[in-house]
Amino acid sequence: MAGGDVAAPKQHGKKGKKRKKGRRLGVRIDFTPLVDVAFLLLTFFMFTTTMSRPQTMEINLPPNKEQKVEVGESNLLTLRVSDKGDIFWSVGLDAPKRIAAADLRAILREKVQTNPKLVVVLKIDRMGKYNTMVNFIDEFGVTRVERFSLAPLLENDKVLMAKAQS
Amino acid sequence: MTPLVDVAFLLLTFFMLTTQFKPMEEVTIILPSSHSAYKLPESDVMTVNIAQDGRIFMGLDSQHLRSRLFGKENELKASVQIDKSQLANYLVQARTMNPKLRTVIKGDRDADYGTVEDVMDILQKTQITRFNLVTDLARTVE
Repeated sequence: MAGGDVAAPKQHGKKGKKRKKGRRLGVRIDFTPLVDVAFLLLTFFMFTTTMSRPQTMEINLPPNKEQKVEVGESNLLTLRVSDKGDIFWSVGLDAPKRIAAADLRAILREKVQTNPKLVVVLKIDRMGKYNTMVNFIDEFGVTRVERFSLAPLLENDKVLMAKAQS
Repeated sequence: MTPLVDVAFLLLTFFMLTTQFKPMEEVTIILPSSHSAYKLPESDVMTVNIAQDGRIFMGLDSQHLRSRLFGKENELKASVQIDKSQLANYLVQARTMNPKLRTVIKGDRDADYGTVEDVMDILQKTQITRFNLVTDLARTVE
């Protein structure tokens, strides 16, 4: 198909001045293969390109660990998460109470609204999942908890959780 | 036909110029999802990958830095497996080579929290107090 479309220069009866012009006009090139390749490359790049960059959430840690931040007992909301993903919450030194993950948002909302100075401490068991932490931080973002900290879950936290469980 | 070809070439050049080839991943990481809307920075990124089994990989987006830090043979790898005890060392070295580097943690959703906790501890010890967690955008609308 391609080869046949390249037309030969038209033969002019006259010879002389007009001949050069005529030969140039007569050449017709078939663009179909070029377009084929162009579309092939186009589809290739369209499929391989990654248009969207992933989302991120930003975390700021305090510069040094030794620095102690004094927080009033009533302003401190502790969330403890067991290795199985059970959530326990407590304010100050109260005994932890278990809640379902679905109710967490309502509680956070309520606590933040009643006490804007609230600081949330998140303690997750080392055997828990990373996904849990991301979900919690995401939840803090949604409920506008601006100050939260991550703390290791200690043995006495586990004891408290076991007590609340029973 | 000519306008069609024009458009085709226009799109072709657009995609050719904007494309960034997805680097070969050493491990597949399934990202957790969040509602956060921050975008990953385009350049000067240092990634700490945490695989599901707790292995730690460190990646840099610049090939030049990669070859300086991990040696010539790892230049083309997107990330290199690193021992947890060596992570602090590598982080400091990378930051001295390029102080503009932004740190990003890319953890698998099923990775143990303990590993992530350790990595964040190391970051804090090396004075990287600001970092990002890579997530997928949650599709659910509040």
